[in-house]
Amino acid sequence: MEDLILTPRGWIEAFGEIVRFAARMLREVASLRVMRFFGEALRQAGILIVSSTLVIWGLVFIIGLECGIEGAYFTYGEGTPAYSGVFAAWCDLRELVPLVFGYMMAAKVGTGIVAELGSMRISDEIDALEVMGISGMRFLCATRLLAALMVLPFVYLCSIAAGFFASYLAVVQQIGYVSSGGFFLIFWQFQNPPDLLYSLIKAMAMAIVIVIVGCYYGYNASGGPVGVGTATAKSMVLNLVSVHLIGMLGTQLFWGANPRAPIGG
Amino acid sequence: MRDDAHSQRGDVKRTDGKAVSRVSVVDESPPRPGPPEGAADEEYRWHSYAVHPSGRPDAVRFVDTYKSFGRSHVLRGLNMALPEGMVSMILGPSGTGKSVCIKHMVGLLYPDSGDVLVHGRSVPDMPDDELFEMRKKFGLLFQDGALFGSMNLFDNVAFPLRQHTEKGDDEIEEIVMRRLNEVGLGDSRTRMPNELSGGMRKRAGFARALVLEPDILLFDEPDSGLDPVRTALLGELILEIHREMIEEAKRKQREHLPTFCVVTHDIMSARRVADYINVLWKGRIVEAGPAEEMLGSENPFIRQFLSGESQGPLTMD
Ligand SMILES: Nc1ncnc2c1ncn2[C@@H]1O[C@H](COP(=O)(O)OP(=O)(O)OP(=O)(O)O)[C@@H](O)[C@H]1O
Ligand SMILES: [Mg+2]
Repeated sequence: MEDLILTPRGWIEAFGEIVRFAARMLREVASLRVMRFFGEALRQAGILIVSSTLVIWGLVFIIGLECGIEGAYFTYGEGTPAYSGVFAAWCDLRELVPLVFGYMMAAKVGTGIVAELGSMRISDEIDALEVMGISGMRFLCATRLLAALMVLPFVYLCSIAAGFFASYLAVVQQIGYVSSGGFFLIFWQFQNPPDLLYSLIKAMAMAIVIVIVGCYYGYNASGGPVGVGTATAKSMVLNLVSVHLIGMLGTQLFWGANPRAPIGG
Repeated sequence: MRDDAHSQRGDVKRTDGKAVSRVSVVDESPPRPGPPEGAADEEYRWHSYAVHPSGRPDAVRFVDTYKSFGRSHVLRGLNMALPEGMVSMILGPSGTGKSVCIKHMVGLLYPDSGDVLVHGRSVPDMPDDELFEMRKKFGLLFQDGALFGSMNLFDNVAFPLRQHTEKGDDEIEEIVMRRLNEVGLGDSRTRMPNELSGGMRKRAGFARALVLEPDILLFDEPDSGLDPVRTALLGELILEIHREMIEEAKRKQREHLPTFCVVTHDIMSARRVADYINVLWKGRIVEAGPAEEMLGSENPFIRQFLSGESQGPLTMD
């Protein structure tokens, strides 16, 4: 019984702590103090590109295919096959690509950070850094955030392209109820350049949250290898919840009042 | 030199009955401090609190430091000093808080109350930037080496040099290889930490702690996990490096002489290496002083501990 009362309070406290941690991390990056370790940030950026881009693009591509196929058959069934481009323009750009990007970021990058920083924490490596006069916050956390900010917009734009390309392949090349020109007519009609920006903002918000949450749980890990495992699991839960929240709130905020389809009601 | 080493916490009751020191070496001894709150005086009956003067200024000093983790009280009014330019030892049974002490000196842990002074400056009061600057005075060998798992041995040892100096690659190479050879790891420079044995990791951590030639070097059990021969050699190495650094400091007229502090269980290396010995138990210093005086101490606890016998006041509990 006591647990039931204590748990929400524990959550609130933990949330407050994460917010404080995030503020510190953002300050390190915004004040450019992280630039002292720009080399390390570049190294992290390289690791991010090599280890995570392909799997993100691959996953987005598959989702783009599925979305295209379902969109094509659905619009065909309703007698409006020409409109299958809407699915690519909306579903891909607004919802699925950011979500899938968020999932992959959480699964690959987020947990990777927790495991890496967590094992450094329990083997005293972070303390060793600090004793050498180097802020672990700056050298380990801020550089990772900076690396994410440098690399991920590019990765994300490419994954949108991959998603669109996959939908196009499925709708036009594979199923073929609509011509290439017809697909693109509708496709472009149903989006504006700001949509791309909004989608990018959504994805970057997810990425930033995921990196911060990963750093928080890794940096503050305790309790040996088991503790690192627990921290990894917790970070994954929090990250998935955050990805969905950001996805939903972003859609409401950016497209809720869209005159073409006021989904905000 | 021993002015406020005996200073007393205001809120701790004094037991005047015990004011007479049981050790006669120090005659003008100030009143004996009472036990920490919640502890019986009985538990502290071997604590003579005698501090034999070292004749040097203190590089590091703990002043009435208290530290608890939840219900476990680790430091309980600790007064301890590491004299400048000496090789000091902190001796004490396992789990008494020796590693905790070391973490207080470099500001990785903060005391609940009391103060930790490094060259006269209070560590807990330092703002972050100053703390990071101050830490460059320190070299610290962690109990498990704490090498960076993502770098090979050479990069690990070179890391502080690359971060804090403008030295070129050649010079770094030379310094690092000299240190690695000193600890007998010259051949393993490209190996990763997880490919090394515990003892090798420790020796590599030792090399890394040395490269910046810090003013204060702290070794947390440099000898655990080493074979007896290597332990003896390591003791000699510590002494040799200390001598070298002292000469260097005198030549360069540095403000502070290099201070070493070794935490250990190994009585033999204590006897061989130490200039000054602090014996820590139950969160306080039992007795402290230059090695010769400590080795001749009449305190039964000190005698038992320094000879490593099973007979005496110290038991398993
Ligand atoms: N971060 C921490 N959280 C909780 N308790 C701690 C922490 N660090 C140390 N302790 C406790 O403090 C006490 C002293 O630990 P410490 O590591 O300083 O012992 P030690 O004297 O170095 O022992 P050993 O010689 O075995 O290394 C132990 O009882 C330990 O459980
Ligand atoms: Mg220890």
